[in-house]
Amino acid sequence: MRLFGEIAAWATFAVVVGVLSVWPRYEMMDSGAAILTLTFSHAAQRVGECRTLTQEDLNELPPNMRRPSDCPRERNPVHIELRSSGSVIYQDLLTPSGVWSDGKVNIYKRIVIPAGPHELFIGMNDSGGDSGFDFETRARVDLQPGRNLVIRFDELSSGFVIR
Amino acid sequence: MIGRVHSIGRSFYELLRRPLARAFESKQNPLNQLGALTIFFCWIVLVSGIWLLIFFRTSVSAAFESVEYLTHEQWYLGGVMRSLHRYASDALIITILLHVIKEFIFNRYRLNRWFNWVTGIPLVWMIFALGITGYWLVWDQLAQYVAISTAELLDALPIFTDSMAGNFMSDELLSNRFFTLMAFIHLIGLPIFLVFGIWLHVFRLNGPRINPPRRLMAGALLCMLLLSVIYPAISHDKANLAMAPQALRFDWFYLHVYPLIQRWSPGWVWILLVGISVVLTIAPWAPPAKKTTVAVVDLDNCNGCKRCADDCPFGAIEMIPRTDGTNYTHQASVTDDLCISCGICVGACPTATPFRSKSALVPGIDLPNRSAASIRQDIVDQAETPSDDPRVMIFGCRDDRQTEIVRKAGGNVVTVRCMAHLQPSYLDFVLSRGHADGVMLLGCENGNCDYRLGADWTEARIARVRDPWLRKRTDTTKIAMGWLAPWANIANPVKRVGAFRDALRVTEGDT
Repeated sequence: MRLFGEIAAWATFAVVVGVLSVWPRYEMMDSGAAILTLTFSHAAQRVGECRTLTQEDLNELPPNMRRPSDCPRERNPVHIELRSSGSVIYQDLLTPSGVWSDGKVNIYKRIVIPAGPHELFIGMNDSGGDSGFDFETRARVDLQPGRNLVIRFDELSSGFVIR
Repeated sequence: MIGRVHSIGRSFYELLRRPLARAFESKQNPLNQLGALTIFFCWIVLVSGIWLLIFFRTSVSAAFESVEYLTHEQWYLGGVMRSLHRYASDALIITILLHVIKEFIFNRYRLNRWFNWVTGIPLVWMIFALGITGYWLVWDQLAQYVAISTAELLDALPIFTDSMAGNFMSDELLSNRFFTLMAFIHLIGLPIFLVFGIWLHVFRLNGPRINPPRRLMAGALLCMLLLSVIYPAISHDKANLAMAPQALRFDWFYLHVYPLIQRWSPGWVWILLVGISVVLTIAPWAPPAKKTTVAVVDLDNCNGCKRCADDCPFGAIEMIPRTDGTNYTHQASVTDDLCISCGICVGACPTATPFRSKSALVPGIDLPNRSAASIRQDIVDQAETPSDDPRVMIFGCRDDRQTEIVRKAGGNVVTVRCMAHLQPSYLDFVLSRGHADGVMLLGCENGNCDYRLGADWTEARIARVRDPWLRKRTDTTKIAMGWLAPWANIANPVKRVGAFRDALRVTEGDT
């Protein structure tokens, strides 16, 4: 009789393990949605102009610290904006990393949007002025349900890549 | 307040304990072997993992195919091993959870047990990290989800200069090195720390139960094996970073917190996880438990035999060089912080014999608040209390609900801190001096002893396989051991006493 009890107990345990290891299913988003993943690192422009050091300036510096120009350490915050068919779906003002705000801006953002056609616009201002975006890209995309479209900034070509 | 929480927890625990107590013998009951069962599941995971490692290829492009090969081409062995690896990993989450709950609701995480409790918390983190990195390595859609979500979680910590989640932009840009790092963490790094962590978790215990009984191991292995054959673990489709994973068959044992990363934010998930860990870490001192009176060594009666040190469940006694100038080489020394006043050391001391008449009953080691002499006096007092024939002297554990039931039913009850607090010569004392016709020990069953080893040591001493053993002249048919779950309502100890009394009548009739 005890044996049956043991078998029943282990069978119940197996069912619990087997069921909870696969069920209930998890859906991270609606079946009719797609994802825009905005991800890149970018060093914004410095807050001021670099100054070329004169020979006198260089003479005053220790030999190991002599450099051709003196640049302000701090970098501008980065303003980023993403629009879909004219509507802003994401925007942020990102502070450069580092204690002295001299590092890169890192951005990683997943944005769930409805699948289907979209007129995308991505713009970035890294000069700190009010003169609009320093970099911008437009693209017409038709997103399938579940599509993960990555938007990144390519430093070599100084432009956004949408793929 | 905390006592109320424990009490409510015990009521729920009872719902699980009752059916299992009917299905399993006490020593085979999984609930009484949760720590050892967890380690056994770890063994299954390790052995099956070694087999998987032989065929696994640690690169982004080949990992999925190698797991598919194991699952489908080599289903009869590799597939079963994969499923065993998966299901044993899941099973040990259940045993860990029950282990933590049980230790908590039975108040076995405070006083000297804080160390075992606190060292268990990083073990849980490591187990989850192992499970998560394991899912990562399959590199199917679930792995993709786990990898990206984990990276998002880690990105919330201010320790990385670049975004880790940014590595998962496309299949072409994903680095093999990153994948190899995960494999290293899962296959070598974490297992090494886990083994060390388990050692640390139990090293302050005397005789930690590392392996469950064979029958229980066989049952657990068979259970996992049959589940693996009937419902083998399979992968999702291969990871594709251009598409977001949909409708995932989710392992809720390991991934239950992941949906919160999307629903809340990684930062809040960290606050939740760290918050739970902090609460668990400070639990042994919230509020501080009342310190019990510790065992005291009497050097005039201690000959340094070491039996108390051998039997102490928590390693609270060490043998140090003699300090009183006598010819004995060592003496017992009690570490106050580790002693929880269980009295097992007294039960192990050869000088704690109630037959001493020329000198006062002062053993080499004793509990000030429940001395060996007071137990002897209680026996004498109870013997004078009227009782049904044949007379049964009942020894019960302190604060035990079963003991209280018997006492209220009019039984001649003498309480001890733990059943192993009772030196076997007391049983001889009761029977040979005619204080009773039989002795019943109502102790806490194996695995449910507050002091871990009470049932083990008592059985071994009465079976005359562990020193100090029961005298040969003592008739063991007049001794009954009733191991019970101490908090349970269902086991009727009065009936057990009655049955033992009936058995004694039969024995006396025969003679």
